[in-house]
Amino acid sequence: MRRFAVLVAIVVVAPLVVHYPALETQILTFGLLAVAFNVLLGEMGFLSFGQATFNGVGAYAAALALIDAHAPLPLALIVALAAGAAAAAIVGSLAIAGRGVYGVMLTFAFNEMAYYIAFQWRDVTGGDNGLRGIPRPDVLGISLDDPTRYYYFTALVVLLAFAVVLRLNVSPFGAVLRAIRENEERARAIGYRVRRFKIAAFAISGALSGLAGGLYAELYRFVPLQAIDLDTSTSIVVAALLGGTGSPYGALLGAAIFTVLSNSLSHVWSHWPLIFGLVFCAVVLFFRGGLWSLAERWSRRAAHA
Amino acid sequence: MSGLIEIQLLNGIVQGMIYALVAAGLTLIFGMLDIPNFAHGAFYALGAYVAYTVVSATGNFWLAIAIVPLVVAVLGLVVDAFAMRRLARAGHVYQILFTLGLVLIVQEAIVLVWGANPTSVNVPAALDGGFPLGAVSFPHYRIFLAIAAALVIGAVWFALERTRYGAIIRAGIDDPEMVDCIGIDVQRLFTVVFGIGVGLAGLAGALILPIRGGQPAMGNELMATSFAVVVIGGLGSYLGAVVGGIFVGLTQAIMTILYPAASEVAIFAAMALVILIRPQGLFGKR
Repeated sequence: MRRFAVLVAIVVVAPLVVHYPALETQILTFGLLAVAFNVLLGEMGFLSFGQATFNGVGAYAAALALIDAHAPLPLALIVALAAGAAAAAIVGSLAIAGRGVYGVMLTFAFNEMAYYIAFQWRDVTGGDNGLRGIPRPDVLGISLDDPTRYYYFTALVVLLAFAVVLRLNVSPFGAVLRAIRENEERARAIGYRVRRFKIAAFAISGALSGLAGGLYAELYRFVPLQAIDLDTSTSIVVAALLGGTGSPYGALLGAAIFTVLSNSLSHVWSHWPLIFGLVFCAVVLFFRGGLWSLAERWSRRAAHA
Repeated sequence: MSGLIEIQLLNGIVQGMIYALVAAGLTLIFGMLDIPNFAHGAFYALGAYVAYTVVSATGNFWLAIAIVPLVVAVLGLVVDAFAMRRLARAGHVYQILFTLGLVLIVQEAIVLVWGANPTSVNVPAALDGGFPLGAVSFPHYRIFLAIAAALVIGAVWFALERTRYGAIIRAGIDDPEMVDCIGIDVQRLFTVVFGIGVGLAGLAGALILPIRGGQPAMGNELMATSFAVVVIGGLGSYLGAVVGGIFVGLTQAIMTILYPAASEVAIFAAMALVILIRPQGLFGKR
């Protein structure tokens, strides 16, 4: 609870201290993607390599709801959430047919399939030109045109979603996911319908990713093809791992650091991904808990001192 | 239309042989050694670029074909000995993640060393020209490519199934402890298999260079397709990798004639279909 309060405080104060509302909004939407990814990896132990699929589906769904149906923003976000959940339930039910690494490959391959569909289906997605001209309707009579206001709107939605994830992790449902992670056979032997739980976890992860996609589409009022490509999926994996998969806070931290670094380092040295790759390999080899576990170790040491 | 459809089908087979070569390597590493190598496409891209450098420096494409698999295989040996073995205890997820880091490194290193623009080399002079086929002609080089790939795939199969070393490797996969007890260093053998596997990917990259040229992201595109190949053919089945590769190459070619917009999607749709109907793949064992 105290951690969540600190998080809320940081999110509220951040744009007042450092005023880059667009970048900070991007941190939140990307953070939600990393948290959604972590529902599958951190809780259930499934490495999904296709998270951009659900992000992209959500982004396109929200954008189309706003452009063609003139839907109010909250409704468009619900559409994004539902579309993300549906896409993830389909991909998930196919991907879990393959055990272990096989399943990872399937999420990867289906992401590429989704990318090609988005690329070719120009009438709907705009292809590689992207989907432009997304309106930003008022919410409850309040205009969100100002970037700072949109930041706070996004913050509200993302923090709510984050609270849901925290609640989920301590719920019986979360316990079953962890049981599947630790020993799938045993979970099945106890009598849990493992397959259903896995698909449900996918749907939840997809719903959160779709929501993030919707928020992202409204942020730039534009959905680029990159929203659904494999590079985005890779970034989500890298960011979450860097932050640490032991906790949703870790995923959020990783996403924040990744977004800030990729925005700032690309101006300094265009080949920064090289160093990033090296650091990432080092993290995988030497401290798999990521930055969050490092922070936790320090705070424990500080508490003992 | 005379000849055009035949040309497309032949192209499909040639591209399919490249997929088969890549997927055969993937099957060695993935299916037999049980190491998830998501950097397989990166080794393929490296193969193309190293070949480019050799051809630029010496003008000799044959030399490139000979050197590239060795260079890439040595890199593979290093990766396996330093990282994959160490990560085996941590589990598949971390092996995948490490190879993902490798992809980032290789892709950016390619941009750094060779630049972001596409590169290309000419078809070797001896294989210039083509066979007449109706109103058009089919390039000699592509036929050479298909035959070369088939020979290499066959040679690796022969080495695995019909030689003493192959028998030791297969025994090591079935029961590593027993083979260890006889006094054979199984790990070292596995590392060699890993090297051969990525070496095949490197060779595929070198072979495709005169046709497609090289570009930094070429490995990523290939990766998803070769996953589809392996899923369709059956994970762990060497024959499945070859048949799956040709099947996917042909599917792409046929769809390019019928409905080009769906030529990529069709592969993954076929993959989804295989998962639903026969999850172990066409040639996979349960």
